[in-house]
Amino acid sequence: MSVEAVPFGGSQQGGSEPAQTRGFGASSGTAGRRIATLLLRGGSLAVFVAVLIVFSVTAPYFLSVGNIGNVLGQSAIAGVLAIGLTVVMIAGGGNVVTGGIDLSLAANMGLSAAVYAALSQAGFGDAVAVAGALAMGLAIGIVNALAITLAGIVPLLATLAVMNVVAGLELVLTQNTVIPATGDLLTLLSGSGPFDIPVLAYVLIGFTLVAALVVQATPLGLRLYAVGEFPEAARASGLSVKPFIAGAFLFSGFCGGIAGILSVSYLSGSTTGAGDLLLPVVVTALLGTVFSRRLVPTVIGTLLSALFVSFLVNGFQLLNLSSTLVSGVQGLLILFVVSATTLLRKQETSA
Amino acid sequence: MSKNEERGLFARREILKWSAVAGVAVAGTTILSGTSAFASAAEGSLKGKRIGISTAGTDHFFDLQAYNAQIEEVKRLGGEPIAVDAGRNDGKLVSQLQTLIAQKPDAIVQLLGTLTVIDPWLKKARDAGIPVLTIDVGSTHSLNNSTSDNWGIGKDLALQLVSDIGGEGNIVVFNGFYGVTPCAIRYDQLVNVVKYFPKVKILQPELRDVIPNTVQDAFTQITAILNKYPEKGSIKAIWSAWDIPQLGATQALAAAGRTEIRTYGVDGSPEVLQLVADPASPAAADVAQQPGELGRTAIGNVARLLAGETLPRETYVPALLANKANVNDVTKKLGIG
Repeated sequence: MSVEAVPFGGSQQGGSEPAQTRGFGASSGTAGRRIATLLLRGGSLAVFVAVLIVFSVTAPYFLSVGNIGNVLGQSAIAGVLAIGLTVVMIAGGGNVVTGGIDLSLAANMGLSAAVYAALSQAGFGDAVAVAGALAMGLAIGIVNALAITLAGIVPLLATLAVMNVVAGLELVLTQNTVIPATGDLLTLLSGSGPFDIPVLAYVLIGFTLVAALVVQATPLGLRLYAVGEFPEAARASGLSVKPFIAGAFLFSGFCGGIAGILSVSYLSGSTTGAGDLLLPVVVTALLGTVFSRRLVPTVIGTLLSALFVSFLVNGFQLLNLSSTLVSGVQGLLILFVVSATTLLRKQETSA
Repeated sequence: MSKNEERGLFARREILKWSAVAGVAVAGTTILSGTSAFASAAEGSLKGKRIGISTAGTDHFFDLQAYNAQIEEVKRLGGEPIAVDAGRNDGKLVSQLQTLIAQKPDAIVQLLGTLTVIDPWLKKARDAGIPVLTIDVGSTHSLNNSTSDNWGIGKDLALQLVSDIGGEGNIVVFNGFYGVTPCAIRYDQLVNVVKYFPKVKILQPELRDVIPNTVQDAFTQITAILNKYPEKGSIKAIWSAWDIPQLGATQALAAAGRTEIRTYGVDGSPEVLQLVADPASPAAADVAQQPGELGRTAIGNVARLLAGETLPRETYVPALLANKANVNDVTKKLGIG
């Protein structure tokens, strides 16, 4: 039997069997859950669309191609990071405390950006700087992966520790100052592409499409979900769980490196305060689950969530409202989403 | 608002008088450019104009005052302010500028911000045909920069420092924000002055002040330095380009009982001026800028520009050095006593 066939078929079995037994035991509970899921997902999409419509009608310039391009571009850095986190959440399971989480992502972006800017400042070309930033991101991913799969530390704690180390390294490297950087690649990335839309917007779309294809449409992606949602079933069907989890952290580390490069282009160098991005990224990835069919983390859901938050910020500014309201709205949404999914999960386990 | 205006006018007159009496080297030019800016600001109108007001943050006394003063002044002159506060986050600052450019306001005023980060976006605003003015940002893409005379501030503070320590001894320097133009100028002026006092030494390595947690961080760093130099007299003074590190440093000196060391800073934050006023405190001097006046001046300049006037490259708003001897007068003149 080929290596491909066993896990693939196995995980399908693991996925469908519990659903059937559940169907016999508590059909009303399942139906209720389905409706609730549908409402939550439909509701959140409806809220998104409604927000877009309200802004289109009330906020001048909101619906212009340039503005939408700007919002896409402005979401690129957080979006790439949140997609990295999404993959970790898929492979590690949805529980924020014990499951997949990578708190080192924002610090990773900061250090990767600093490496890029420092190399560029030292006279190295774009290629070396890109390689340096990506290698830095990947290295951080490797440390995370080792700490979690070999040492067996809970991701929340392991990545928290790595986050501190990485933030410290960034301070050492930059002395907490801004390191300006210029170069052809940076000029290209910070400029505008076709239709006068920022290049960063194209980067975000391209990156999301590739990640979504791999995660949502390949056997590899299916196994990632199997490992995260039903680790026992995955193990029983012959999937080794640890390499998948390690791989997810490598990928998120790599995303940190990419986001670092994007950040250098957006801010014309490496700046301090990368850590500020951590909570928005976590929020984006968590909020992303409401845009998926089964309330699980998905790449497209995370993209929608990133865009939703960016459109809120953008619309508030266009309406000349205080952007401080945005964090309040965001907090309310998170509270709503987390309580709704928790309630649904409880219903599921009790059934 | 009219009360504000009155206070502003009163303060202006007093300050002009004061700086004339003080006989600062740059007083002549300061007063000249200052008066012309003030006079025109009163006549200008921004009726029907949308003015973008972007700030790096509002978490310090200085930027909050300057930010609010701009918003009020735009409203007073009949315009509509579009005000955005980046909360000291460079990514947010750039996003807001980008969106602001798409909003096509009649002018954008940028308050503070790291030059290399914002400069490309100020250029994009200019390329989009939007006039850009700045407060405390020395950008080539700015039509006019309202600023305190940072050369004067740096020189005054440095001269006060060397004269206080009798022209000899070690000084500890916070130099974490050399990328921020006003800080760089003040630091360079310190170095220029110290150059001619060979017995004054800037201790190496210099300290890096940070944002956020500036006070706690300065406290920790100074406590560590004091442990490294335990002998009284081994350090004479602590200098920082603004006064929030000075606040932390002063607290650290008081906590360690090393009140023989003096601290120096810039910005005139009320809590630091209070320390300067306390005879027992090591806070020796703080150069107070007039943030509210800076904000009003910048908006006045916008009105002049939109009325077709040509603006000078820089508009200087006078700053006041507060030391142990005159701090009460200065706080009174600033209206924050």
